[in-house]
Amino acid sequence: MRRVVVTGLGPVSSIGTGVTAFGAALRAGRSGISRITSFDPSGFPHRNGGEVRDFDPAAWLHRLPPERWGRSSQFAAAAARLAADDAKLDLDTVDRGRAHAVIGTTSGESVVVEAFTARLVEAGFDAVPAQLVEQLPAGRLAHAVSEELGLRGESLTLATACSASNYAIGYAYDLLVTGEADVVFAGGADSVCRWAHAGFYRLGALTESACSPFDRDRSGILTGEGGAVLALETREHAEARGAHIYAEVLGYGLNCDANHPVAPDRDSIAECIRIAHRNAGITPDQVDYICAHGTGTPANDLVEAQAVLAVFGPKPPPMSSIKSMIGHTMGAASGFGAIASALAIDQGFLPPTINWSHPDPQLADIDPVPNVARPATVRLVQNNGFAFGGNNAIVLLGAAR
Amino acid sequence: MSGDNERYEQLREIIAEVLEIETDELTDTGDFAEEYQADSLRAIEILARIDKEFKVEIPQSELPELRNLKATYDAVARHAGWQD
Amino acid sequence: MTPLTINGLAALSAAGDRPEALARRVAALAGERHPGVPIGGIVTEPLPRAEGHALTDFDVRARLGRRGTSFYDRATALAVVACGDALADSGLTVDDTNRARVGVVLGTTVGSLKSTSDYTRETLVQDKPYLVNPMLFPNTVMNCAAGQAAIRHGLKGINATVTGGPLAFFNALRYAGNAIRRGYVDTMLVGAVEEFSAHRAWASALSPAGGEVAAGEGAAVFVIGSDAGSAGNAAVCAVATGYGPDGTAEQALTDCVARALHVAGAAPTDITLLITSETTSSGRRPQRAAALRALGGHRPADLVVSRAAGDCGAATPALALAVALGLSGHDDRPPSGLVLLTAQGTDGGVGAALVRR
Repeated sequence: MRRVVVTGLGPVSSIGTGVTAFGAALRAGRSGISRITSFDPSGFPHRNGGEVRDFDPAAWLHRLPPERWGRSSQFAAAAARLAADDAKLDLDTVDRGRAHAVIGTTSGESVVVEAFTARLVEAGFDAVPAQLVEQLPAGRLAHAVSEELGLRGESLTLATACSASNYAIGYAYDLLVTGEADVVFAGGADSVCRWAHAGFYRLGALTESACSPFDRDRSGILTGEGGAVLALETREHAEARGAHIYAEVLGYGLNCDANHPVAPDRDSIAECIRIAHRNAGITPDQVDYICAHGTGTPANDLVEAQAVLAVFGPKPPPMSSIKSMIGHTMGAASGFGAIASALAIDQGFLPPTINWSHPDPQLADIDPVPNVARPATVRLVQNNGFAFGGNNAIVLLGAAR
Repeated sequence: MSGDNERYEQLREIIAEVLEIETDELTDTGDFAEEYQADSLRAIEILARIDKEFKVEIPQSELPELRNLKATYDAVARHAGWQD
Repeated sequence: MTPLTINGLAALSAAGDRPEALARRVAALAGERHPGVPIGGIVTEPLPRAEGHALTDFDVRARLGRRGTSFYDRATALAVVACGDALADSGLTVDDTNRARVGVVLGTTVGSLKSTSDYTRETLVQDKPYLVNPMLFPNTVMNCAAGQAAIRHGLKGINATVTGGPLAFFNALRYAGNAIRRGYVDTMLVGAVEEFSAHRAWASALSPAGGEVAAGEGAAVFVIGSDAGSAGNAAVCAVATGYGPDGTAEQALTDCVARALHVAGAAPTDITLLITSETTSSGRRPQRAAALRALGGHRPADLVVSRAAGDCGAATPALALAVALGLSGHDDRPPSGLVLLTAQGTDGGVGAALVRR
């Protein structure tokens, strides 16, 4: 059985683009939240989000003409280019037919769907430009990566909502383990949009100014955006070219609540954790850090904590939420989580949960790494991702051995 | 009173639709959550439809009180000032 | 690689809600194009053309009851019904002893474009942009259909949604095959769904490849497993997908067909039927040309299912497989041989599958 390693990290985020900037921001506990500008939020009671300000796709993309691709595809392709560069991977030396792209998303080209809709509201369907129609398909997120890097392998966009990056990393892991691939670019991308902002507000799940997971007074998410892609290789392939190995992918677990379209399910999440541990061949006591789904809604954080306690017992490992810094980046969220996890292992620190001020008596056994990053020896990380549709996905990353 | 009655029946229809039941299944005091398996999404949607149909805004914080048809009607009437 | 047996199937299309219905229509048309039916009864918005290929009599409430279904969008309704029909056809009873080992993977293009677009519309035209319906919010997310299918049928195994338009069904087959072979589940419901709406009809008409056939809708779902006890069943022998950057999609498709033949250990002459996802059957047909290049001089019978079913986007190749399994062979004998299915998505995305009948 082949082993799978992480050799490149490509974050395009509201707190920094590229692994150096993103890693420094995680350590500093920076917030990427600002007033939304990609649409006019003035009619909404809450107006903040985690936008990637001044994103200039042309600055990152070598081959993809940005004008032909939607914002989420641009995020995915830029993140993949950054991951390839960070991995110092010379694509001309790679068997391109064995190099794949697997990208997760919640809303695909949501900005394009909204432009399509705005046009039909203003002037009718027949006034919608064909150019917008061409940019609608969500499958283009992975295609953007394949096109940008010239990959001839599978080019798959998984649309399993807010755990989609973990699905993508899991599927990539299988492609590598089973010998179908040498290299896979895996992660996720999404863009801030009106409809998600409105929907989460309406669910009572959108907070006003700052997202504060695990805090007693937490009141919801902030929508965010970006692209998060990891370069994954078989260990053989990485070692043969002397690549730096951030971490090893040990396995993953998926399951489905089959219960409620939006409410998280404690028992089902606990079962997903057990499946992930079993598939990765590890036990709970080996886990040093949990990169939480941690959306900052009262329900998620409570249910997630209860599920963790059910599996880990009363003393679970520290568990922080990077959504406190970048908001909920939807399909990219667990990709950013995986990047943060790989950095935690490689650089020896725990990313903090910022905006944390009041202990929640219901979460007394949870250590959310409040406000300040913490130096730590991190050998094994559990990266949680949950989603609408009850699509739970958990990835386990370990230190290179 | 007939106006009140009409509004009451209109509210019954709105709520029955959101709860995916027939109007005659929705009793005056049947508990939305316990008897009709309403979740918070449905409760929020009932508020939204009240806002649209009656132009009455009931704050989300009052949701826990709106347990049944009668209590919901009372809340709508109170916020709309229908009793006055 | 061990073939994955097809232990049950369902297909809902404009030709009817039974899998045989579309196969019969395909056989009766003998390559001619079905004009579609007037669609004004189910769509109120203006349409690019009056006809389409929709299930105009489809009523989810009649099939599944009111409870839990009134907030379904059309794609979700079609998918949930198709999953139920496919399970029934397979004879598999899902209960607490096996529900964690049964999963779902469905292919789509963008989910329900109407649901997402209507949601955005509400935020644009209402006085209060946030007064959107929370019950409909899950419908704006592309995994809605698969998630609701899991809820309805109690399927707690791997639940996934893959995109890719016409390529999505091939992605779904590969995803399902991996999940079974890696031992994560025993059975997968694999399918693809696309709904008819004004949004899709316009998107189809305005797309570069659009125009010749009208927009359609449908869902096809297959119950797939590695059960040794179902050796006589049809089976998915190989699925290959790839990408052709820089306009090399045709070459990439030829490579996929060659790879699928290699994986299946089959010769080109084993192929008795080629079905492409094309929406045109006149002029140059790049998919057919690309596939034939991998078959040496062999020329199997070929079929363009969209001529009977309309442009069903992601659902077209899934419906095509249902047709291939439902068609009678020569002299009404059961069909035999390998079916080669191909698809091209947007840009350079391509795929090929070999299915034994």
